Amino acid sequence: MKSEPFVIERTYNAPVEKVWKAITDKNDMKQWYFDIASFKPEVGFEFQFEGNDGKRTFLHLCKVTEVIVNKKLTYSWRYDGFPGNSFVTFELFAEADKTRLRLTHAGLDTFPSDDPSFGKDSFAKGWTELIGSLLKGHVEQATVAK
Amino acid sequence: MRRDVFQAIADPTRREIINLIAYKTMNLNAIAESFDVSRPAISKHIKILTECGLVVITQQGRERYCEANLKSLGEVSHWIEQYRVFWTSKLDALERFLNKDAAAPASRKHKSTKKAKRK
Repeated sequence: MKSEPFVIERTYNAPVEKVWKAITDKNDMKQWYFDIASFKPEVGFEFQFEGNDGKRTFLHLCKVTEVIVNKKLTYSWRYDGFPGNSFVTFELFAEADKTRLRLTHAGLDTFPSDDPSFGKDSFAKGWTELIGSLLKGHVEQATVAK
Repeated sequence: MRRDVFQAIADPTRREIINLIAYKTMNLNAIAESFDVSRPAISKHIKILTECGLVVITQQGRERYCEANLKSLGEVSHWIEQYRVFWTSKLDALERFLNKDAAAPASRKHKSTKKAKRK
């Protein structure tokens, strides 16, 4: 065993088709996830997006590896210029008129933790910035609009 | 060669060693006797654990005692924690997105829902 993959589950009050669209339609994705130039739920499709920590940008490189419409989507997730590769999987389970989503992020331990340019601190800072400003902005906007 | 806590816990024997000495300091011989693996192999694992900062060896007379330094294990949970925070926030955002969509099916953009932004 390497380190355990990261797993998180949520149940959404929406049918699977709608959640599937939210995770595969670039216009939907832009509103809660990342602004990706184009996205197709097709094995082999490659896409990228940027995460900025204020000083530098981490270019995320992804490639779709598995697609089961309305059920499962997996893509690789790595950082341009850095070793390591991980896999993000979204699994959808229809539960009456709701959808349970399980997100698995495997292979996080393959990312360098000892490279000062990609150390925990700068990396954590990048995420913090992303979550703290960009996402917060979107989330608050969505909340107020509710 | 990679020497960090992830390397340290990547191997099952090393995880066993950490479990073994997590709550009590043991000498090298005692650790080696707890495994079917050869003593040189155990020594090598302990050397790696030492280099990764998870084990501290102290010499007492002729014995070498191994003590677990579990602080660095926190590094792993800290690392995972970053992603936990990230995905939790993202999935929250997804929930809001899905709810927003349900509440206002006619207007898909925030802009059309009256003065949503204050900042």
